[in-house]
Amino acid sequence: MKRGIAVTVSLVLVAGLIFILGNAFGKDPHEVPFKLAGKPAPNFHIKRLDNDQVVSLSDYAGKPVVLNFWATWCGPCKYEHPVLDAVSKEYGDRVVFLGIVFEDTESNTKSFLRENGWNFPQLFDPKSTVAVDYGVSGVPETYFISRSGIIVKKYPAPFTDPEKFSTELEEILR
Amino acid sequence: MIALMLSLVLAQGYAPPRQGQDPLDAAREERVQRVGKLLRCAVCQGVSIADSPASMARAQLDKVRELVAAGKTDDEIFDYFVDRYGEWALMEPRKSGVALAVWVAPLLLLVIGLFVVLNSFKKPTATAQIEAPADDFLDQVRKDLEK
Repeated sequence: MKRGIAVTVSLVLVAGLIFILGNAFGKDPHEVPFKLAGKPAPNFHIKRLDNDQVVSLSDYAGKPVVLNFWATWCGPCKYEHPVLDAVSKEYGDRVVFLGIVFEDTESNTKSFLRENGWNFPQLFDPKSTVAVDYGVSGVPETYFISRSGIIVKKYPAPFTDPEKFSTELEEILR
Repeated sequence: MIALMLSLVLAQGYAPPRQGQDPLDAAREERVQRVGKLLRCAVCQGVSIADSPASMARAQLDKVRELVAAGKTDDEIFDYFVDRYGEWALMEPRKSGVALAVWVAPLLLLVIGLFVVLNSFKKPTATAQIEAPADDFLDQVRKDLEK
């Protein structure tokens, strides 16, 4: 009887350990979880860099939106910039593209954009309030928001291939 | 001149530091800092938003300040961050739901371990009391030796 209880308790403990280890194996320990997918995108009111006009997400209600958080001090963001420009030229009539400058100065950003061009509105988030609301964990990060204002997904890495970006975009165009 | 040139060059490649909001009154600011110590910085490695020097951590602490000023409870503030980053956002797992297992399991294992150790100490005494089984051959040897 005692032996039976001991075996059962041991099996339960081993099964618990296997469950915990199995759950954690294969996951990147540095990956920051993202739980806003499938939830309404937080609204914001921040100004455009080119004309100081205040822009809100609600201004684009009913349209799919791509939000790209980036900064001039971030190397991968610089590689991504031409890809974003190219894709926004192709999809600009069907999808709203908005850049949100993260933890940077206006002068640095304006200087970078003057040299490299910009094809869609760039918004300035001086106190990172929008970044906090969106659960940003680094840059670049791109959010895909559906017509109904729901965050479909976040892409937490730079896009280096326009094809890959197009594939992701099709999901919010459906 | 060299220092000026260096600062200009470095300023091109690094995120500029940003000032946090002004602190609230002493009582509420103490709460901001206490809650901030229990929330994980999103862009750091294992550091709370109250302890991190990162600009993003300051922005997150500003959010805590904003929520405290709006009269939110500690749990409502934790929920705001958990909604975005999951339970990962908490420096300590919650003492409720599935996360409660993290607090209870070590105690449970300790109790089971103590039970096993105490049980193993009892065994030798128990076996010592057990009489040896009857053995006709040994009985005969003893009798022969007594003669």
